[in-house]
Amino acid sequence: MTLYLPIAEMSVSVITFLALGGTVGFLSGLFGVGGGFLLAPLLTFLGIPPGVAVATSTSHVVASSVSGAMTHHRRGNVDVKLGLVMLAGGLVGTYLGVNFVRILTARGLFELTVSLTYVIFLGTVGTLILFEGINASRKPRAPGGSSLRKPGQHSWIERLPFKMRFPRSKLYTSAVPPVVIGMFVGFMSAIMGIGGGFVMIPALIYLLRVPTGLVIGTSLFQIVFVSATATVLHAVENKSVDIVLAVILIAGGVLGAQFGTMAGEKLRGEHLRVLLGMLILLVAARMAFDLAVRPGDLYSLALLPGAP
Amino acid sequence: MMCIRMLQRLCVAIFLMFAITGGAAAADRPKEGVEADASTRQVAITSSFTGTEILVFGTVENSVQPSPEAGTYDIIVVVEGMPSPVVVREKSRVAGIWINTSSLPFASVPSYYAIASTRPIDEIADRALLDANQIGFDHVHMAHARDVDVDAATVQSFKDALIRLKEAQGVYVRRDFGVTFIGRSLFRATISLPPNVPVGPLTARVYLFKEGKLLGQYQSRVMLQREGIERFIHNFAISQPLAYGIVTVLLAAAAGLTAAFAFRKPA
Repeated sequence: MTLYLPIAEMSVSVITFLALGGTVGFLSGLFGVGGGFLLAPLLTFLGIPPGVAVATSTSHVVASSVSGAMTHHRRGNVDVKLGLVMLAGGLVGTYLGVNFVRILTARGLFELTVSLTYVIFLGTVGTLILFEGINASRKPRAPGGSSLRKPGQHSWIERLPFKMRFPRSKLYTSAVPPVVIGMFVGFMSAIMGIGGGFVMIPALIYLLRVPTGLVIGTSLFQIVFVSATATVLHAVENKSVDIVLAVILIAGGVLGAQFGTMAGEKLRGEHLRVLLGMLILLVAARMAFDLAVRPGDLYSLALLPGAP
Repeated sequence: MMCIRMLQRLCVAIFLMFAITGGAAAADRPKEGVEADASTRQVAITSSFTGTEILVFGTVENSVQPSPEAGTYDIIVVVEGMPSPVVVREKSRVAGIWINTSSLPFASVPSYYAIASTRPIDEIADRALLDANQIGFDHVHMAHARDVDVDAATVQSFKDALIRLKEAQGVYVRRDFGVTFIGRSLFRATISLPPNVPVGPLTARVYLFKEGKLLGQYQSRVMLQREGIERFIHNFAISQPLAYGIVTVLLAAAAGLTAAFAFRKPA
């Protein structure tokens, strides 16, 4: 069964994209990540124009993170005040990112930027997660079950101005780091089509020293709103959100995520992190390979903006 | 003797009469022309659109072709989409990775161009005639932006790449023996519109050639437009992008919450 996509302007197989959404959803449920980092490259690989792939991925991130955010909120695991402060930065970052995408697309540099960002960013994060997971699985399980180190002192962060009190996290700290983190994640989210959980979670733990119980909930809270904003801004600024493609991917994704979560409960956290690290590195390696290998055709074709 | 002379005169008269009437018949013989049409005037792009075919058919008026196979006439059918601006980019290796380093914008190239003919077009007519009528990929007017300072060879290589890439996308189609005569004057050609055909009006043109000369041409329009839900969604996305974006987000959020609710573990 095929369907014509109104924005991508191509005819696609529904089954293929349902399966893609399902697979990415399964992995995101399994690892507790948004899955945007897998979805956008896979969509491009299947022939969806890169702009549409990134913009439509952000809507998939909304679907895959909203239920987690709701659950954590109900259990009181979200520091709403901290989330809102980060969101303020996040919205600015998203806005900048979406406009950056438009400028890059006009200059023919969008694909290159996305690839380079993925290679550098995923390469680093993937390596960190992989080694952390390997180290953790070598060590016998600590009685507390937590492998996260106690954060060290950050005297320079404490000297920053605009101090705010975050009662839920029992923090009294400058508003600057959360705003900057939010902004960075928002920017990345807009250009890579990702949620950015794997940047935000370490940043919340190591830089802001948010209690671990609140980290995931607060991160998801921020991701839902940032990716929702990114979707709307892509729709307005770049007209690149394909609602039909989004619905197919989300339908597969939300189902896959439920099964992924069930499967994830049967695996040890350290093993999951090793697998996730390898998966992220695989995506990064694939992108690096494409950049380094001589393309089949050195020429490429693009419609100029303003074309009918 | 009289008899013979009279007979001679008669012969001359008859001969002259034949010569005159015969000559007049050649001069008066109606000119050949072409009339044609497309099987569909309206192609609807709906959610189930996977490409389609249109049949272009026509007839040579006053055909003197003895049989369909005689090859007295040559027909070229061109179906062309709206002109659009495109940019062709060329990658080169910079610090180990392949980057778009040079580009050439073209102000106006056909978004779709299908050509079918009774035989390869360079056998049908000479370059000048094809250029003048813009028949064939190499003869269509493709204006590159004027403010770019590039030599002719570079322009040609970018233009070749443009044609090659459009062919690879399936939106430039050439069928050298795609037009067939099915009678002394009746001919037909099928033109395929791929699923990624650019939406917009198409112009179908039919050219009649004989011995390298253009005897006539005929033009017709085919509308290619979105219909139904496809049209609704596209218009919504373009004219109300903010509402469209919000609807997408709400759909995504609703799907996420519904799935979580449906799969919720019994407490």
